Amino acid sequence: MTINAHEMQERAQALATRAVELSTADSTEVVAAVSSSALTRFADNRIHQNVAEDNSEISVRAVVGTQVGVAATNRTDDDSLRACCDAALAAATSAPADPDFPGLPGVSPVEPAQRVASGTLAFNAEARAASVRSIVDQSATRGLICAGGVKSTVQGLAVANSLGIDVAQSTSGMRATVLSMGSNGGSGWASFVSRDASEFTAAALGDEAATLAERSEGPRDLEPGSYAVVLAPEAVADLVEFLGWLSLGAKALDEGRSFMTDHLGEQLMSERISLIDDALAPHAFGLTFDFEGVAKSRVALIESGVGRTVVTDSYWSARTGQANTGHALPAPNPYGPLPLNLEMSAGDATIDELIASVDRGVYVTRFHYVNVEDPVPVTLTGMTRDGTFMIENGRLTAPLKNLRFTQGVVTALNDVRGVTRDREWIGSETNPVLVPGLLLGGFAFTGQTS
Amino acid sequence: MRDIIAAALNAAALSGATYADARITDTLHEEISVANGRVEGIESGATFGIGVRVIADGSWGFASTSAVTGESAASAAKQAVAIAKASALVSRDPVHLASVDTVTDMWTGPCDIDPFDIPVKDKVALLLEADAALRAQEKVRLTKAHLGFYRISKVFGSSEGSYIEQTHYESGGGIVAYAIDGAEVLSRSFPNSHGGDWEQGGWEVIERMDLPGHAPRVAEQAVALLTADTCPSGSYDLIIDASQIALQVHESVGHPTELDRVLGDEAAFAGTSFLGLDDLDSLRYGSEIVNVTADATVPGSLGSFGYDDEGVPAQRDFLIRDGMLTGFLTSRESALEINRTSNGCMRADGWNRIPLIRMTTISLEPGTWAFDDLIADTERGLYIETNNSWSIDDKRLNFQFACEIGWLIENGELTRMVKSPNYTGITPEFWASCDAVCSADHWKVWGLPNCGKGEPMQVAHVAHGASPARFRGVQVGVGR
Repeated sequence: MTINAHEMQERAQALATRAVELSTADSTEVVAAVSSSALTRFADNRIHQNVAEDNSEISVRAVVGTQVGVAATNRTDDDSLRACCDAALAAATSAPADPDFPGLPGVSPVEPAQRVASGTLAFNAEARAASVRSIVDQSATRGLICAGGVKSTVQGLAVANSLGIDVAQSTSGMRATVLSMGSNGGSGWASFVSRDASEFTAAALGDEAATLAERSEGPRDLEPGSYAVVLAPEAVADLVEFLGWLSLGAKALDEGRSFMTDHLGEQLMSERISLIDDALAPHAFGLTFDFEGVAKSRVALIESGVGRTVVTDSYWSARTGQANTGHALPAPNPYGPLPLNLEMSAGDATIDELIASVDRGVYVTRFHYVNVEDPVPVTLTGMTRDGTFMIENGRLTAPLKNLRFTQGVVTALNDVRGVTRDREWIGSETNPVLVPGLLLGGFAFTGQTS
Repeated sequence: MRDIIAAALNAAALSGATYADARITDTLHEEISVANGRVEGIESGATFGIGVRVIADGSWGFASTSAVTGESAASAAKQAVAIAKASALVSRDPVHLASVDTVTDMWTGPCDIDPFDIPVKDKVALLLEADAALRAQEKVRLTKAHLGFYRISKVFGSSEGSYIEQTHYESGGGIVAYAIDGAEVLSRSFPNSHGGDWEQGGWEVIERMDLPGHAPRVAEQAVALLTADTCPSGSYDLIIDASQIALQVHESVGHPTELDRVLGDEAAFAGTSFLGLDDLDSLRYGSEIVNVTADATVPGSLGSFGYDDEGVPAQRDFLIRDGMLTGFLTSRESALEINRTSNGCMRADGWNRIPLIRMTTISLEPGTWAFDDLIADTERGLYIETNNSWSIDDKRLNFQFACEIGWLIENGELTRMVKSPNYTGITPEFWASCDAVCSADHWKVWGLPNCGKGEPMQVAHVAHGASPARFRGVQVGVGR
């Protein structure tokens, strides 16, 4: 059965406008999402979990004066929508007035964008199973064990408010991940993200992970310390996502939790680092408007290492005087505006050239279980995983046992020795980041799993 | 509901399922948050739907829908069977389930005062009072306070004949003060960080917390951290408070003893486990005073229920007894791998998710020490409280935790406060270094509302009983 994304978008738009009609608040905003998603997971070279979900969700933000309340439901009949509106209104009238609340945003022209691929709409359970078969064969025929998942999501999302905003868009995306494991500590990883499942070549992804697993058999110890490090895009994505979450929104900047607080316009990183958020790029994933229905802007966050600006939404735009960049999350939003379409600029090297320029260092395929130790310098700790290698005299040599790092990201990005020209999409099938590989002059490895 | 469940089970059987269960879940949720004296959010949410899980052609399939009618339930069941048959295209041994008694039963969790009957204005007023008390300290530049409530009702039916109805309430909350000076941001939380503390129960849970009453101390400690020394680096005897022991148990005992992880089911996402099936009843996990239980019968705990989401009754089981590994957290399918029946750990995060092996109340059983005696017995050490961050490797061996606050222990006395203490270790070595656990007088069940696992991500509400404990020769001050 093929999913009809257009119908899902129309259904979401109808639910959003209907809920606005039913609300008796001074002003009302409704976000409606109609989604269909499926995931086939495999482990130990067989499918062990295989799930599908159809859902419709409505979130109502009711405003009375400057009092605001939010309610959500996934029941879509009129009585339930009315009850949800009433719950939002009751929450609003229970809230203290918020003199800083600027009111709901007005209409802004939204860029139309085609974000649905027919290949993803037709990517059904049999097609997912066939992909898994191709992936598994690559490991099984080499005596390896693999695990991973193949997922697709199609969604129609609409935002309407009583000031005239009425926008809707449908999106599609698919993601596949493969972990291949050998019998002597070898482990390899590969992932793929696209709007279009027909671009997915399962056997190639399975081969990439299996080859890395074979290459990393028999890992050895490495003394903790600071090493030059080549980070594959999968590892870079973790650093970029934490930068975005902790530092690149107006709320974090205003509250003094961002490394850019009081330092906008200053050289904060290597000149090789530029970071933008751009939902409007032809290759971008997701929506071209935010969860307030405001058109997203392309925002240059860090240009050649200089901290330029942060993203905003209607509240933080009014509070800081910055233009609204269209980066609101669903209300209520304690995190403030966040960049969901991050891209790090490409360089001019290949990953092999980065490795070739290192006398002694470490190559990292990806990180695992990264968490924050200190938010302002974005000091993170985590482990390496699924393909960590020694670099000696410009070559990958011995595979290494997993290493723990404890490192400030801002400091690490001050000493960037090289950036790859090829970039990869990494992350979820709805909002991945686009990142290159990096060569950093120093990275603090503070422990190892023996 | 019984008719809708029956429609799903009948459709599954007619489509070729050899086993099916259907679960209707109705969840009501409310969250109120305050920051710096401003109400950041008042939100309520309701989600309702049905999920149908089947075995067909020897493989699993699952489909779910928010349309809860007999027709939609039957449609979801047919889709689940079709998915199971697709799963069988890449399968190995057919799925078998350990036996379980069929039951018809109801279970209700504790709740003295329905939290949804308490006016939102009263909840907001409580948070604003606590928040104002935090901001009494000038150098506290950012404050947060929040409350949350759930009412979760589930109806479970299986093709084996079980029909179970369960309802429970959960209530939780917490406060955080951030002292900020230049590039330094130091936090202090109560009663716990990362979502506060949670219990099964109603408004009485919030009344017992007394958030406003604790706010002045929390704010004072946050400010004091600004001028405290940084935690030193080196090998120290480490005494960990009960809330951090709870997280230590969670990460380094709870997750590695999940049998699906041991079997590799989560390898590509959260990882596997350093444990193997052969380690059962043979691996020394910790010192002889380390005893860890899995208990879904603890009254008021977030990890309690009448039956898990496979219809298996709540149980108490030892995972570690006298330092030896004696059990895993299991499902009906995985329990067969160790020739046991399920100890009832399968739970799903809502109608649209399959049940996974999840922690119940995983507890470090109390020891014999009084806290003051433990401090007095420690010559050179560090006492730390309240988690700040956590990280552990994909086999649950190499961990690193940071806490909000610590005090040096010198010659049997707590002396200087230190900021940003962290510590690292290897799981069995760490638990082997445990030489003292405080008594039941210091033992408390902590509710963790944010345990992530699986794809699509599921967030489980779990719990851990813990009291302060001492670990000898631990590496602290990592990366300083």
